[in-house]
Amino acid sequence: MCTNIAKIVSKSLTPFMTVNPLLHQQIRTTFILKRKFAPQLHKKGDVPKPLRSRHYIYELVEDTAIQKQEDIKVILTTSVEGLGNFGETVSVKPRYAYNHLLLPGLAVYATPENVEKYKEYAIDATKVQKYSSPNALFMMKILSSVTLSVVMNKDNAWTIQPWHIKVSFRKCGYMVPEDAITLPEIPIKGPNLDLENKEFFVTVTMNKTEKVNVRCRLHHWSTDIVERLPFAEKFWEQPSEAVCPEFEDVLVQIPKKRQIPVTTV
Amino acid sequence: MSSNAIKSIKSLGVFQKPTIFDKGPGALLPAAYKKFYKEWRSTEPSAVHYIPEQGKWKRDEVTGEVNPVQNIPVPLFYPKEHNSHFWGGEGVVQGFQARSRNTRRVPHFWVPVLKRSVVHSEVLNEYFSIIVTERTIRLINANYGFDHYLLKTPACDLKSLLPLGLKRKILKELEAGCPNVNEEKRQEILQKYGKYLEAYTSEEIDWYGYSFSEACRRIEKQMEEQQTVVPLKHVYRSQLIDKLRAANIEEAMDESLKSSESGLANSWLQKINPFAKKSNP
Repeated sequence: MCTNIAKIVSKSLTPFMTVNPLLHQQIRTTFILKRKFAPQLHKKGDVPKPLRSRHYIYELVEDTAIQKQEDIKVILTTSVEGLGNFGETVSVKPRYAYNHLLLPGLAVYATPENVEKYKEYAIDATKVQKYSSPNALFMMKILSSVTLSVVMNKDNAWTIQPWHIKVSFRKCGYMVPEDAITLPEIPIKGPNLDLENKEFFVTVTMNKTEKVNVRCRLHHWSTDIVERLPFAEKFWEQPSEAVCPEFEDVLVQIPKKRQIPVTTV
Repeated sequence: MSSNAIKSIKSLGVFQKPTIFDKGPGALLPAAYKKFYKEWRSTEPSAVHYIPEQGKWKRDEVTGEVNPVQNIPVPLFYPKEHNSHFWGGEGVVQGFQARSRNTRRVPHFWVPVLKRSVVHSEVLNEYFSIIVTERTIRLINANYGFDHYLLKTPACDLKSLLPLGLKRKILKELEAGCPNVNEEKRQEILQKYGKYLEAYTSEEIDWYGYSFSEACRRIEKQMEEQQTVVPLKHVYRSQLIDKLRAANIEEAMDESLKSSESGLANSWLQKINPFAKKSNP
């Protein structure tokens, strides 16, 4: 009965109200069932025969709620950290896109109209701040919060070179090429136990564009166990001074990690 | 012969039962509401819980027998709470599971998974926290936005009263020219969603998305407001004066037929009222 009426109604309705599936690929986010026993056939144009109990026995074809969803494309309307710049089209997981990009208004759906609209914005570099890569801003933040331990020899003379810093970075898990490291103009020479556990900075240039100042802490180390200095646990939490007062201005600007508050008696 | 023709022949000489639109307040409802009601209740919704078979005929692989393809939809249930949620076409399926060959079938309900989420309407310029299913969110994404989804989808697929009410609100807002949206965006939104207004007349928008009882209540209230109640004493009074005039009684000639202009102030009740202001001291 319902089907017959449906046919009549759908003919009279305007194209916007047709019952045809909305999309080429039908979306089913739910239990999709199948009858174990097919209902009896009915005559053409007749009312379908009433269903029997056995026609209510269903088999689960699929539960789409637990299936992996395809990524959706969105166009960013602002620069999003770790994702992309203004006007860029990115492909992200649908739940993240809906909750964290589309609802707060950081992105719009990549409809043909929106693609056309944001095309010019994507080209116009003067309007927005561009980074060399989507991860640039993220990496800059991380590097500026690092307190890099630079361990130097306690017995032999040295002057800090870029490769020292490169090795120190590598020990912390950052692969930094030597030509990306710029040392301060004032050379730092040692061994000098006055400089032990004091701070200086180096400048890291990412992708030859972004520059980040990284806080470094100088430590002395000897191969002789007796000569070695006692191990300072969580040295980055201890307050410290600059190697020379000229570095103070830059060091103040670098964001610090969590520090132990100084207790006053 | 088409199935419509067969149906109309079969209905010849058969008593047509009165429908809800033939009796009571339902008979007062305008055609605009009937059109919506047809779209909502008499149209077959798109298949959600089953995969409809394609084609008109199919051949049995073993016997070679040809049978017509008849898709009988899976019956769905909608609880009362459904009307304040947005399930996106899903429903509760009641049935049985045959878990193994040698055990009796077991009753089972397949119930959609509900969650609270936020939807954003560009036309209304508002965010709504509503209970939805994952399918609703997917459909919103697939249609590039909440407004597009609501406006594109027929009432039979939206089903519950919450999205239908929101759709009416959006259509009304579009018709009024989106006064709540700031001017920069207004033109863009009207251009984007204006095409959906073509399918409706102003009256149809006004009557869209009401349940039958809500619509009845609305039309009854409208009728009540239109009627002006005249107290019977005024009616009887004017009738009496008419009769007296017909009998050529002099005193009745000066009396006005309207009670407000009449000399009620000098009535006998006024005279015995001790608290009344005395007009002639």
